[in-house]
Order: sequence, then structure tokens, then C-alpha cells
Amino acid sequence: MQKGKENMPTPALENQAQADHINSVVSLSEKKLSPAKQTDSNCECSVVKSENFSFYYGSKAGVKDISMEIYPCSVTAIIGPSGCGKSTFLRSINRINDLIPNTHTQGKLLVNDHNVYDKNTNLVNLRQQVGMVFQKPNPFPKSIFDNIAYGPKLQGIKSRSNLQQIVEESLKAAALWEEVKDDLKKSALALSGGQQQRLCIARALATKPNILLMDEPCSALDPIATGKIEDLIDKLQTDYTIVIVTHNMQQAARVSKRTAFFCLGELIEYDSTVKIFRNPGKKQTEDYVTGRFG
Amino acid sequence: MKYNLRAIFDKGFTILTAASVVLMVLVLIAVLGPMISRGMSAVFFRSTVEFRRMQFDLHHRGDEATISDEIAQSKVHRDFVYSRIDEFKKGVDTDSFADRAKQIYRDFGDELKRNNVAGDELSRRRKVARKIRQDLEKAFRSVDRTEVLGILDGLDEYADDESIINTIADDFFVLSNEYREIARDFDFSRREEYAKSLEEVDVLVGKLFGPRPEEPLPAVPMDRYGATRCDLANELTDKILWKEEWVQQSPDQPMVKTKVSRVEDFAGTKLEAIFPYLEDNFDDLTVPNFTFYWQYFIDDSTSGHYFGGIGPEILGTLLLTALSMLFVFPLGVISAAYLVECASDNLPMRIIRMCINTLAGVPSIVFGLFGMAFFLLFLFPIFGAPSQKCILAASLTLAVLTLPVMIRASEEAIKSVPQTYIEASLGLGASRFRTFVKVTLPAAMPGILTGVILSLSRVAGETAPILFTGAVAFGPIPKSIFSPTRTLSYGIHDLATGDKIAMLVPHKQYGMVVTLIVLVICLNVVAIYLRAKIFRRLKGH
Repeated sequence: MQKGKENMPTPALENQAQADHINSVVSLSEKKLSPAKQTDSNCECSVVKSENFSFYYGSKAGVKDISMEIYPCSVTAIIGPSGCGKSTFLRSINRINDLIPNTHTQGKLLVNDHNVYDKNTNLVNLRQQVGMVFQKPNPFPKSIFDNIAYGPKLQGIKSRSNLQQIVEESLKAAALWEEVKDDLKKSALALSGGQQQRLCIARALATKPNILLMDEPCSALDPIATGKIEDLIDKLQTDYTIVIVTHNMQQAARVSKRTAFFCLGELIEYDSTVKIFRNPGKKQTEDYVTGRFG
Repeated sequence: MKYNLRAIFDKGFTILTAASVVLMVLVLIAVLGPMISRGMSAVFFRSTVEFRRMQFDLHHRGDEATISDEIAQSKVHRDFVYSRIDEFKKGVDTDSFADRAKQIYRDFGDELKRNNVAGDELSRRRKVARKIRQDLEKAFRSVDRTEVLGILDGLDEYADDESIINTIADDFFVLSNEYREIARDFDFSRREEYAKSLEEVDVLVGKLFGPRPEEPLPAVPMDRYGATRCDLANELTDKILWKEEWVQQSPDQPMVKTKVSRVEDFAGTKLEAIFPYLEDNFDDLTVPNFTFYWQYFIDDSTSGHYFGGIGPEILGTLLLTALSMLFVFPLGVISAAYLVECASDNLPMRIIRMCINTLAGVPSIVFGLFGMAFFLLFLFPIFGAPSQKCILAASLTLAVLTLPVMIRASEEAIKSVPQTYIEASLGLGASRFRTFVKVTLPAAMPGILTGVILSLSRVAGETAPILFTGAVAFGPIPKSIFSPTRTLSYGIHDLATGDKIAMLVPHKQYGMVVTLIVLVICLNVVAIYLRAKIFRRLKGH
């Protein structure tokens, strides 16, 4: 096979086996995505929109001039090589980057039409609307119940029955209820890695966010746990806007509707997943998804 | 070659470390062993009947019937000793004889008046009585046995005098016979020596057995009972049997203190018999029995620690420790929280950190003076509290003493809480304060408890800081935090630098030391157990 040199609609792919594989994955997700599109009207979704957003660590730019829109009730994947700013962008959305000293931003980052880097942003509200799941499962060293009830308690919910209901709902939404319902007082650290990550997802869901940010949620898990989490993401996208950063291209192809490709702090291409993987517009994208670099 | 060398070095390293651990254990045993065994003797020891009597009198402990039996049992044997001493005393103490003679003379004169004897008869009889009396007094004063016996024999002439027979003056002859009995084996020429030696023996026997049953009770409790412990009784018996003298072994050698048997002093007298008697019948005289005096930890001390236990001291130490931990725990944790979470790394903060570290090295006596100056003399008057030693000031001083350790341990603990927990908490919408209280602090608890453990040991045993701020040697159990208290550490210091009483009760001192050590170990064990439990829970078990 020849290398396709033009940035035209159908470039030839070097490795046919890989191409076929990705193709099949994308077709699968295509089939899955169609029903989701139709339930747009059911969810109370919101939108994340960045306008020329840049984030600086000191004088070095983490991300530069990012302009993209994240659409409601779907999964948006952000892919790219290491150090390209995916996590930086993701963590800017709920301003968890504030923990790092010596940073500043430029441009706008709007969540629900409100600039999160505005001076009078209510961080507490923001973080309760935008939930986050981290790369390594990090449940608190408390019981399962206390972990999940942590968020709602911050929202002021004190009644025991209320909390129990929320815990149950969140655990069911995270597909963990059946496994832990017998002993919610057990320490969260006694669960397996996959269970812990689902617990973290349940914990994030307990505050009833609109947006769920996931920073490489499966990178520390084995394939079976990963599969379970991907199924979960698939289920959740009907009600939540999910942004997932991932190294795993197959995963991005499997779960997401739209994919953004970052490289060296810049947004190279942002389009529907099908297009990015079958028919990338930019050469860099093509090089990355075919595995020539990255 | 190289591999073998490395293996040798590894083995050497293992042996060296093992040897150092063994050495440390040996040193610990060598230091603690004697202390513990002697301290145990404050609680486990052989007591005499005097001890049980004292316990019954002061605290109503023990079975009255048993104690009376024991007292009766010992009395039989003690009476022998007493009687011999009394008899011997008579030979030494001739003044009493002279006084009795005088009294008889006066009584005789009164009797004559009652019988209405008058005139020449009166003066004749009185002259006879006077003559007898003067002879007796001469006999009493004499140091020559033959002379004494001669005079007493000469008095017998008057025995048949009709003016004497069946009157009070007969008592003169009773007196004379008594003295004759004594004169039989008493060497009057050695009266002075005997007097001195007898005095010593009498005092020692009094200390050994306590006051005689018929004597009035002394005011001081210490004097009311004899030797209460067998070791003390043995010492006293030893002192009775032997006396220490400076003896010159040979002309050109310096004098050496040697033990000289006291029996020789009284050789040939009736008193000689008591010495072997004391030695052989020790058990009957003192009725020793093995006692477990656990009330040692509860009882108050009497007569300056001569009797009793160390209850108030233990209470004082516990109170001070608890109160100072109560002050230092929040202060230390909050300071550490500020240093970790909020403080920026600029010059003033670095100076403050340096000061905190320096504070850890300040001598504790300086803290004591600081405590007195700041709390007692400056702060208390501002709040209208009296400027006297109290538990509050001592606890505050101890808290300041141990603050740097607490801050350092807490700081380390808080810093070591994984950042992921904090991210997760913030990501859920918690404020920084909420995150600290609900997530960071519980996760840092094991490290903070390490600081507590380190502080506990220090605080429980410190003497210098409480010297001026809250500790006293004698006093009642504290009524409030504004009263001073006794403590184990100060009590040890006081007894060690104390007076004669302290030297009589070394077991008390050792007991205090061992109690302090055990107390600190117990506190540590409790804290370590708590920490382990929290640690296990944090790890998910």
C-alpha cells in the first residue's frame, strides 16, 4: 500500500489490519450512537465552550488558543500524545488546576454560558455541576457510604433517608450497587481497582452534575474492568455530557461521538469520531491515529 | 571474588546491627532491672505485725481478730526483752531509787503524824528512818559492789526495830532487797558506760517494736509504730547487735570503721541475754508475712512518705499530662495546618519555622522560669487569678514545652496526605477548610498521634517546668486547677534531695521511679494501640 500524501477525504492507510480494526470499531460505535442522538430532548444538558482559551504554567503554555464546543448529552473524547495538554484543558473546565501555583489563563472558558475564569465564579457550584473522575481511583479512606454521601452532604442534605436514597441511586447509576449493597459500611479501600473507579464515578454522580469529566479513567485498570467502565460511560451519556481524555484510541473510537485531537498544546482537529478515525482532515491527525507517532 | 566480599560485608552488617540491638537490650535490663526489682519491693514485701497494725489503725484494713492474735503473739516475746531492759535500767538509773527512798521517808513521816506520834518518839523514829535513807542513798551512789553490799547488809540491823516493823518504813527494806538483787551481777563501776550503751539499745528497740503498750501514744504517726517492713526490722536488729566504731587496727594505720559486737558491752549482765534472743526469735518478735500492698497506688502518704502510698502523686502526674495534652493537641495541629496550607514560603515564614525548630532545643528549666514569669506573674493577674502555683500554669508550661514536637509531627503527617484525596474533595465542591477537616485531618491522624505519643512521655516525666509553676512536695489532693499538686517526677526529686526521713524509705523512691516508668509505658501503649487501629482503618481493613 502506498502512503496517502494528500489531505483529501480518503487517504490510504499504511497498515491495513489496523485500519480494518478501527473501521470495525467505528462502525460499531456508529450503530450505537444513532439511538443516543434521538434522546437529545430528554436531558437537561449544558454546554462547554472554549473561546481562544490558553493556560500557562508560569511562562510555558499548557494549551494555546483552544476554541471548541462540547455538545450536550454525548461523549466527547480528547486524544493526543503525552504532554499535549489534554489533561490541562480538561482540568481547566472545573478549575481543579487552581491547586497548582503560578498559573494564569487567557481567553474564555464557558460552562453553561458562564466564564469559569471570571472573578466572581462560585467554585463550589461549578464543581458540583461539573463532576470529575481521576486517572487513579482515589476513594477517601472512609466507608463506601461516606464516600458517596460526601458530595450531597456538602450540598446541605442532612436527612439520613435522603442520603441513603442518593447513595443507592448513584451506585445503581454506576453499576456498582449489586456488588456492594450488602455492606455499605465497608471501607472503600477494600474494593478492587475497577470497583473503586466505579465508586469514584458514583461519588461524582451523587452531586447530580450535568457534565462529567474523566481523566484517563481506565488507564490503571485491567481490560475487564475497563470494559465495564466503558459500558457504564455508554449508559451514562444519555443523561450527562461526558468529556473523556484517553490514550487509548480504540477506547475513544468505541465510546465517543466526537473526538478532539490535541498536539503540543494546540487543538489540531475536532470532528465526529467516525470522521477522525476513518477520514482525518489533517495529516497530523492521520499520522497519530494510524500509529505512525504518538 | 567481588561477590564473596559483598556477601561477607552483608553478613557483617547483619551481625553488627543484631549485636547493637542486643547491647541496647542488655543496657536497658542493666539499668531498669535493679530499679524495677527494688521498686517492686514497695508493693511486694515482707511486712511485720507493726505494718498490719498501722494499716488497721489508719485505714481499717485487715481482720481485727487476726491482728490482735498477732499482737498478742509478739507481745509474749517482746515482754521478755522489755523486762530485761527494765531490770537493767534499774541498775543504771539509781536516781529513781534515791527518789523512791525519799518518797518512803516522806510517807513515813506522814504516817507518824496520822498515828499521832509526837515528841521524842517522833524525832527518834524519824532519826532512824533518816539514817536508813541516808545509808541507802550512799549505797545507791557507790560504785563499789562490796561497799554497796556492806551497807545493805548493815541496814538489816534496823529490820527488827519495833518502830519500823509494819510501817511504811518496811518499804525501805523492799528497796534494799531489790537493789541487792541488782548488785549481784551489776558492775557499778561501769555504770557510765552501761548508761550510754543502754540508751542506744533502748532507742533502737523502741524503733523496732514501737512504743510500749502502756506508754501514751506519740503525736507523730511515724513514732507510733515500730519497723513496718522486714528489711527495716533486719537493719535495726543488726544495729542493735552490732555497733560501728572507729578502731585503730595498728599504730601507724588510719582508723577504720568496723562493726563491734554490742554483746561485749553487757557481758556478764542480765541484759546480755536479749541479744541472742533478738537474733533467734526474730520471727516471733515481728511476725513477718508476705504482703501485696496494692493500695500503694491509691493511698496518700503520711509523715512525709514514711508510711502510705503515692496515690496523690500518680493523680497529679495524670492530671498534668491530660491537661497539657488537651492544650497542645489543638494548638499543634492548627499551627501545623497553617504552616502547610496557608503559609507562603517567604522570609518571615522561614524565620518562624526556624524559631519553632529552635524551641525544641530550649532547656526545660528555662521553660519553667518562662512559665512562672509569663503565666503566673504576668498573665494570671490580668485575668484576676491568684499568682500562685497551680495545675493550670504547670499544664500550660508543659504544653509550650512540647509544642514544637507536636507541630513538627503534625506538619509531616499533613504533608504526607496524598494530593489525590484533596483533588477528589475539591472536585466534589468542598471548600479548602471543609477538605482539611473532613479529609486531610482524618487521613493525617496516625502521624499526628505519633506526635502525641512523643509528647506524652516527655510531659509525664518532666520536673523542671513544673518546679516553679505547679508542683509541691506536700499538700492535699488538688481541689481545682488553681491549686498546686504533687507529682511523681517532683516527688522523686524531693525524696532524692530530701532529709533523714527520705533515707529511711528508699523503697518509696524506687517505687515512684518504677511507677513513673510503668505509667509512661502504659500511656504509650494506649496511644500506639489507638494509632494502629486508626491506621488499619485508613488502609481499608
